[in-house]
Amino acid sequence: MTRLLLFFRLMVRPLFREPIRTATTVLAVALGVAVVIAIELAGDAAAGSFRSSVETLAGDSEIEVTATGGVPDDLVGKLATLPYPIRVRPRIEGFAVVTQTGESVPVIGLDLIAEAGDRMSRDWKLPDFADGSERGADLSSGVWVGRRLASKAGDQIKLQINDDTREYKVRGVLPSSAGDNAVLMDIAEAQQELSRTGRVDRILIRVPDQPSLEIWQQRLRQVLPDGVQVRPQGSGTEENRRMMAAFRWNLRILSYVALVVGAFLIYNTISVSVVRRRPEIGILRALGASRREVLAAFLCESILFGVVGALLALPLGRAMAVGAVNLLGTTVNSLYVSSQPGSINLNWRIIGLALMVGIGVAVLSAISPAREAAQVSPVEAMARGRREYILRVEKWRDLWIAVGLGIAGVAAAKIPAIDGKPLFGYLSAILFIGASALAMPALVEALLAAGTRVLTALLGVEALLASRSLKGSLRRTAVLVGALSTAVAMMTSVGIMVGSFRQTVVVWMNSQLPADIYLRPVGNPAIDRHPTISPDLADQIEKLPGVEAVDRFRSYDINYQNMPATLASAETETARYYHSSGFLSGKPDREVVAALRGGDNAIVSEPFANKHHVKAGDTLTLSLGERKVSFHVLDVFYDYASERGFVILDRDTMLKYLPDPAPTNLAVYLKPRANLAAVRREIERVSANRAVLIFSNRDIRAEAVRIFDQTFAITYALEAIAIIVAVMGVAGALLALVIDRRRELGLLRFLGAATAQIRKMILVEAGVLGLLANLAGLLLGFVLSLVLIYVINKQSFGWTIQFHWPVAVLLAALTIVYVATVLAGLYPARIATRLIPIEVVHEE
Amino acid sequence: MEMKPESRSSATLTAGMPVVSFQAVSKDYLADGQKVRALDNLSLGIEEGEFVALVGRSGCGKSTLLNLAGAMDFPTSGRVLLDGTPTSSLNDSGLTCIRREKVGFIFQSFQLLPTLSAIENVELPLLLAGSPTGRTAAREMLGWVELAGCEDRMPHQLSGGQMQRVAIARALVHSPRVLLADEPTGNLDTTSGDMILNLLRRIATEHKTTTLMATHSLEAAAMADTIVRLRDGRVEEVLRR
Repeated sequence: MTRLLLFFRLMVRPLFREPIRTATTVLAVALGVAVVIAIELAGDAAAGSFRSSVETLAGDSEIEVTATGGVPDDLVGKLATLPYPIRVRPRIEGFAVVTQTGESVPVIGLDLIAEAGDRMSRDWKLPDFADGSERGADLSSGVWVGRRLASKAGDQIKLQINDDTREYKVRGVLPSSAGDNAVLMDIAEAQQELSRTGRVDRILIRVPDQPSLEIWQQRLRQVLPDGVQVRPQGSGTEENRRMMAAFRWNLRILSYVALVVGAFLIYNTISVSVVRRRPEIGILRALGASRREVLAAFLCESILFGVVGALLALPLGRAMAVGAVNLLGTTVNSLYVSSQPGSINLNWRIIGLALMVGIGVAVLSAISPAREAAQVSPVEAMARGRREYILRVEKWRDLWIAVGLGIAGVAAAKIPAIDGKPLFGYLSAILFIGASALAMPALVEALLAAGTRVLTALLGVEALLASRSLKGSLRRTAVLVGALSTAVAMMTSVGIMVGSFRQTVVVWMNSQLPADIYLRPVGNPAIDRHPTISPDLADQIEKLPGVEAVDRFRSYDINYQNMPATLASAETETARYYHSSGFLSGKPDREVVAALRGGDNAIVSEPFANKHHVKAGDTLTLSLGERKVSFHVLDVFYDYASERGFVILDRDTMLKYLPDPAPTNLAVYLKPRANLAAVRREIERVSANRAVLIFSNRDIRAEAVRIFDQTFAITYALEAIAIIVAVMGVAGALLALVIDRRRELGLLRFLGAATAQIRKMILVEAGVLGLLANLAGLLLGFVLSLVLIYVINKQSFGWTIQFHWPVAVLLAALTIVYVATVLAGLYPARIATRLIPIEVVHEE
Repeated sequence: MEMKPESRSSATLTAGMPVVSFQAVSKDYLADGQKVRALDNLSLGIEEGEFVALVGRSGCGKSTLLNLAGAMDFPTSGRVLLDGTPTSSLNDSGLTCIRREKVGFIFQSFQLLPTLSAIENVELPLLLAGSPTGRTAAREMLGWVELAGCEDRMPHQLSGGQMQRVAIARALVHSPRVLLADEPTGNLDTTSGDMILNLLRRIATEHKTTTLMATHSLEAAAMADTIVRLRDGRVEEVLRR
């Protein structure tokens, strides 16, 4: 109790005497932690919704039977007549667009008669066909919908399924346990509406507890064709989670950067606190406080920062998560799997994470200054005339350690991924950040020494005083530059990575989108949804004047090595090619694509090749319909459209195994000298009653770039927060610097300095800090961008990105940071000019 | 040396135009919400080249008087004239100008900027005033205080006496009309203190710089032309050589 009282008197009270500095430190921790939990919450919400719609409606089944292109529905009967006490539930699972809102919603086709009497069916108040009341009822054009889509039975709802739009009668509103936006219809109608005649998407099977699930799977496999997959129900959700893991990992790591910046600031705050309280520590030591008690006191102070920061971070993080969920939702939909964001759930795990991260970062950053406090000798600390205690800076030792860390960083970057995670890539980035932090005192001193003369010549005596003051408090300056430069480096590296990626994608699109007009069904594009276009529309378009050829592109969701991927086919005969090669081998496109025709050949995308360790010449075995088919991999092509990966076949090959002729996209090639606008009008005319979107080549590129920019919007948001934390730290630290140097500032007034000169001096200090941070940050950012592009991205996603300097973006961003840093000096400068010289010069 | 006492009412020390003149000056401070009178209706005039020692107990108003004389503060009532200019009539930039041109300060704890070398400290007032000839004047001044060769030393590389001589050089580098010294020997040993006092004496004699020194030391006060004894913010006694 007495210790607590002492802690309050000696450590907590002083914090209240400097509310601004205390507040900025707490806020830095809070912002850092908030970003971490916001990304965690948003990731949970975005990923958690994988199972929400479709899986909620799956009920309590244990096994699912699937096949690429659908399971033939005669297998439903085969399974149902097996001599086992199992329950067989066929499903159609697709998506529809609510025409009124444009929202994509899941459409589930259930065998209502087979489900009758089931608990789930009763819970959802579906008609009970078993009791005879609905016997003979017309099930067509009737749907049951979630609460969000209709308020009562009898309403009408207009849905677009594939490229067809129809009005449906709402037969009932589902309870919230069935999801609030699902559309349920009878399986027969769903098969017709979703063009799945003769097939179902999944067969869910409920089996008894005994024997084991594995044995049940084996029994079922024995009676099913080779290409049909039997697996535990919900495996798809798990696959999606696994697939998303790399994305979430990278985002998580990115979210920790703001925390690292915050750590620099806590380190700075505790260091300043130790320097200021040296005499106090000396007195306490003389009065009997042990070294351990001093150490504990400062560590407890940091814990206090951590706890308060983490508690503040909870509401802040939740609010940030709302924005992040929307940004993440776009990325998840365009790159991974279609999903509706789930709810943001601030649970105990997140609260625990916030406290752990907040306290952890606070204690880790306080260890060094707290140890320094514990080393204070009472005699030295209390000695008069030693007010200007300058912290020890062992810059040469630190520089050598930095060189060592840098070498270790290079070595770590060369180690391959572990379990698909670029752990050594992250380590490499951390080592480079550490190296930069340790090299900072030497770098700052060298730059200040070199630049003081120039600065003084340009800006006068104020610049001399400013740079000398920064050099005089080298450790503090180095920590500040370290914090700000880490934020700048993050901004720079992500900026370079995203800029390079964008440029690579733009160049790639220029060579990979040769058609003049593209068509796809209406609705938000999502990588795992493959709504189709009526085959006759493609035929109609092909016959239009001015049209040379139509490429019918068809894609399916497949499962390869327990990971989702996309299987697609293209009409290789119609495709046009550019001179540049789209293949890793460098072979001309025409040559590779010609080889694709005839025979079971395939080409795979680079992310697919990396994820599944497939290379040209390998054999790939895929489950197609009821069969397992082996394909010869001809080559690997560059692709930036999907992280899950593509396997591409010739259309004829695809139709051999999956005979559904409906394409998912059309690429229309015009005849030379054909009028694009006129042909487009003609296409619009023939597709007037179809829900399809028509894009010109330019439109589709612009759309791709828009999706790309949306995808990376979250990284910009994370960068902005790290910069805010750092700039806030600069403001707080400059304020501390002003307070610590108030006697010096007062003295300058005695020596004839005008208030404008004092203000200028502080602003020059802020400007020099900004300049140093920008320089160091640019350097570190360049190194980190190499790690991001060539190690972390490559190991996580498998994309080849060409390095590119996004000069305009970087210049703009660095200017903003610089201006923000100078502006951060305004308040401390104002405080400096308001000091009363007589009071501060004479205070001892 | 013999000092002649004068009456308290005749606190104006000169018959001619004084360089620093206090006319019925009072100065009040607020300390914890209570008004404290630091100077009480004080009148005093100091002539060019005169070396004046201000003595008295702690809190008698010595430092307040120096601050008013250096245009660092305004009187609550009365007037302070610095080289004929009433300080109360000046705004912040006017006060800054008058300090730059006419006043030099020396402090008990030297108050050198720790991040600047000796010569940089000395040239600082000139640089702040925008003078381009700072370095030459500073070098000359360091020579005058017998610190030639120590130009590039940092403050922590100098002894106490050397630091105070740098401070004196800094206070004189812009040739002020008035030199204000607050306990200049308070932190020095006897030998260094004597050296500083001799310098101050020479400044008044050779440079004709009016010097106003607050001190507790009778030995230091004995070097002055005039000793002004303060008590409770008033002139208690004036002793002239």
